Amino acid sequence: MDFLKRAAFVLGGIFLGINLINYFVMGHTGDYLPGGERMGEWRAAKIREACYPALEAPERDGLLPKLSTDTHRVDWRDLDRTRDMTAALNCYLVTHPNAVCERNNRAYIVDYINHYFAKFDEMMNTAKRYGEAEMSTVRKLWDSPRNRAINAALLQDTSSGRLIKADFGWSVPTAMKPMLDRYKGTSDNCPKA
Amino acid sequence: MAGEFFSLVRMPLIAFVGGFLVVGGWIWAPQISSLVQSQFSGGPSVSMFADTNRIGRPEVAPVVRSCIFKVMDIGVDATKMEPSAAYFILKAGSMQANVSTMLGKSDGWSEIQKGNLAASWGQLASCIYALEDRQLCDPDNRAAAVEATMKFFGYAKQIEGSMPGSDARAMENLRDRLLIVLKNHRRYGTLIASDFGSFAPAEILQVMRSEQKETRDICKR
Repeated sequence: MDFLKRAAFVLGGIFLGINLINYFVMGHTGDYLPGGERMGEWRAAKIREACYPALEAPERDGLLPKLSTDTHRVDWRDLDRTRDMTAALNCYLVTHPNAVCERNNRAYIVDYINHYFAKFDEMMNTAKRYGEAEMSTVRKLWDSPRNRAINAALLQDTSSGRLIKADFGWSVPTAMKPMLDRYKGTSDNCPKA
Repeated sequence: MAGEFFSLVRMPLIAFVGGFLVVGGWIWAPQISSLVQSQFSGGPSVSMFADTNRIGRPEVAPVVRSCIFKVMDIGVDATKMEPSAAYFILKAGSMQANVSTMLGKSDGWSEIQKGNLAASWGQLASCIYALEDRQLCDPDNRAAAVEATMKFFGYAKQIEGSMPGSDARAMENLRDRLLIVLKNHRRYGTLIASDFGSFAPAEILQVMRSEQKETRDICKR
């Protein structure tokens, strides 16, 4: 019995350690999204490769996020990441509106939506230290035509049941909670294969 | 009871810590290496233990915006480039020089590179200190001033004795000017010893820890 307890603790420790490393170090947060009929394997998402061209030269897209002022405290790495994430999510949701209907794509897109809103929150938290002017700069940065198109697509996808609260599991982005709650119980209108 | 519990959790704990060290070490090794290098070789960066209310993020500092393109010749791309990106290029050059030092590649080329880095960081520090004194009340500006100063002194020490006469004199003049400016900022309360941490070059620590009391704190005005 003692041996079994020890073995269980060792295995539990290894399991916990592997998962913590996978989540926090490797950043494979998609592994922890709910499974089931609606959600597939994020690694197998075809939309990821289909959208590589959208990420090739984001600087040429004038509709992507731009800083509205020269007097800001936004790091260029955050700025680049904002542009890349917006370009990618715009491709996943706006350019390919039906991509989210496929199980693997849905898992990948849900994970990406989490990262997208987490980045916005992180930048807003940094901006808070500098006051309202900096927060307004960051808000404007994330309010480009592409960001607005993403928001509209998210509203569309939640209202049509293509994205539901259960898809996000325990990690629902705060910004999406109201719309997911509002359209709770809507059955999806994805084209049937 | 506690001993029994400890003996039960000991193995998984060791397994977890071991696994974390191996995988985390593999992933973070480059950062840790460059951090250690920057701390002890090419002049330390901003102290890890500095007060975060006093020391902010140097790359986004307004003084860097004003000064970086006077130091870095980016060419026609300068208008398109974010100042924080140019600052990152300067830092990346420093990391490369640190790696060369770590690998023992101290040839003529790396000496020239270190000389250029010392000059660049020194010019950046001079430009920052030439701006209004109260600018250093801002934590990001202060961090930029601290980092540029420490990098300059770090590289200047490394190339000491290996520079031609006129360059060595210019470097010496810059060094003296910066030490005078540091003394002034210490008196104004805009810079204090702990901003530079414990690994700062000896000349800086000597100035910042001198007995002279600060006369005023211009940031409190």
